[in-house]
Amino acid sequence: MKRFMMLGFGLAGIIVSPAQADEQYFGYTYSAELLGKGQTEAEFWATDRRGKADGHFDAQDYRIELEHGVSNRFNVAGYANFAGHHIRNSDGRVDRDFALRGLSAEFKYQLLSPYKDGFGLTLYAEPAWSRIHGGGERGTELELEFKALVQKNFLDDRLIWAANLTFEPEWEKEVEEVSPGVTESEWEKELKLEVSSGVTYRVANGWYAGVEGRYASVYPDWTHGLHRSASAVFAGPVVHYGGKKWWATLSYQPQLFGSPSPVGGRELDEFEKRELRLKIGYNF
Amino acid sequence: MSANWFRTLPVAAIAAVAPASAGATVYLTIPAAQQALFPGAQFAEHPLALSDDQRKAIARAAGAPGYDKVQRVWEVRSGGNRAGWFIVDRVIGKHDFITYAVALSTDGTVRGVEILDYRETYGGEVRNANWRRQFVGKRPGSALRLDQDIKNISGATLSSRHVTDGVRRLIVTWQMLLAHA
Repeated sequence: MKRFMMLGFGLAGIIVSPAQADEQYFGYTYSAELLGKGQTEAEFWATDRRGKADGHFDAQDYRIELEHGVSNRFNVAGYANFAGHHIRNSDGRVDRDFALRGLSAEFKYQLLSPYKDGFGLTLYAEPAWSRIHGGGERGTELELEFKALVQKNFLDDRLIWAANLTFEPEWEKEVEEVSPGVTESEWEKELKLEVSSGVTYRVANGWYAGVEGRYASVYPDWTHGLHRSASAVFAGPVVHYGGKKWWATLSYQPQLFGSPSPVGGRELDEFEKRELRLKIGYNF
Repeated sequence: MSANWFRTLPVAAIAAVAPASAGATVYLTIPAAQQALFPGAQFAEHPLALSDDQRKAIARAAGAPGYDKVQRVWEVRSGGNRAGWFIVDRVIGKHDFITYAVALSTDGTVRGVEILDYRETYGGEVRNANWRRQFVGKRPGSALRLDQDIKNISGATLSSRHVTDGVRRLIVTWQMLLAHA
């Protein structure tokens, strides 16, 4: 555990000096902006998810990312994902863990610039390998996430609206003990569809305040028909600061409602009651 | 180790970045820009207090808003005659304002543009002399639009667009308020 802590503080140390570019104004919705050719950015993400139907559940996702502008229209990034969770079931059993969750890559290609083409449009692809599921269980997972990132600026670029459409097929390796000492595995398919959007306003130089929301849905075994197993709507405030060399974004996303919703109108099996995400970026 | 370290990490990261400050880099002082654009001339400052209606009219005609209620304007004289106008203005950059100066001839033609200070990591290419030279000779009626008569700087699109919009707005300001002064 110590080495992860040192890694975290080491990153914090890198950020000490004064940053800008492919800066993310929202916690969950990507803008269509890209790094310019030759520019490099390090990002650190921390997401806290908590609250299930009963017992105690909190999980933290961390991402350390390095992104580079190959050209003014094409960016590549690689990142390491870490995950921790703390679960206390209603029977009092406690489960804690923290580990490397997996690795991902990211490719972004900008078709239209929000600053000169009327609106921005960027295509995004993210292949990922995970060894831990979102709920904390261990198991191999492969993901391929595609996004369309749209951005429109208003009021001399002081008001920014962004929206993302996400199509994310996943393959989860399920291992089952069919008899003592004998296991069988199979790949289960799942599709996640998400629509997210946010609007934020430059309230002072470097400072933005806004709101963002998202609709997320899950479709198991989707190649044999699209049947939604769970969905949820999240929405909440977002604050962003961008300085000369670095930027930070904080977004709070409570779940407003979900389906199926046996408890209080929210879906709490696939999703959590609330999420909080902090992103920090540093430009070299 | 405490199980709460993952809660303290983000706080530690914020604490680490908090002292960082984004100071402006001053490339040219106003007197230095004045002498660069009108060598040997005399400058008399005539601050232009803009009413709300005037600011709205200028923004509407230029298609770009201004951020100063008082426009810093100097009448430039040389050899006893008016040689033109020197105007200092601000446009928004990625995070902070970009301060720049524009020199106009007596007929409103752009003689030159100088970037006075710039506060961003990227986008500083607007200081490039070749890019700024594109403005020279632009006059009332010129398009002054990115990708039309002003080339964009890839990777510095926001800065180059806002400076271009700013110069267009100052020419409109000259047309409305200084042309007959």
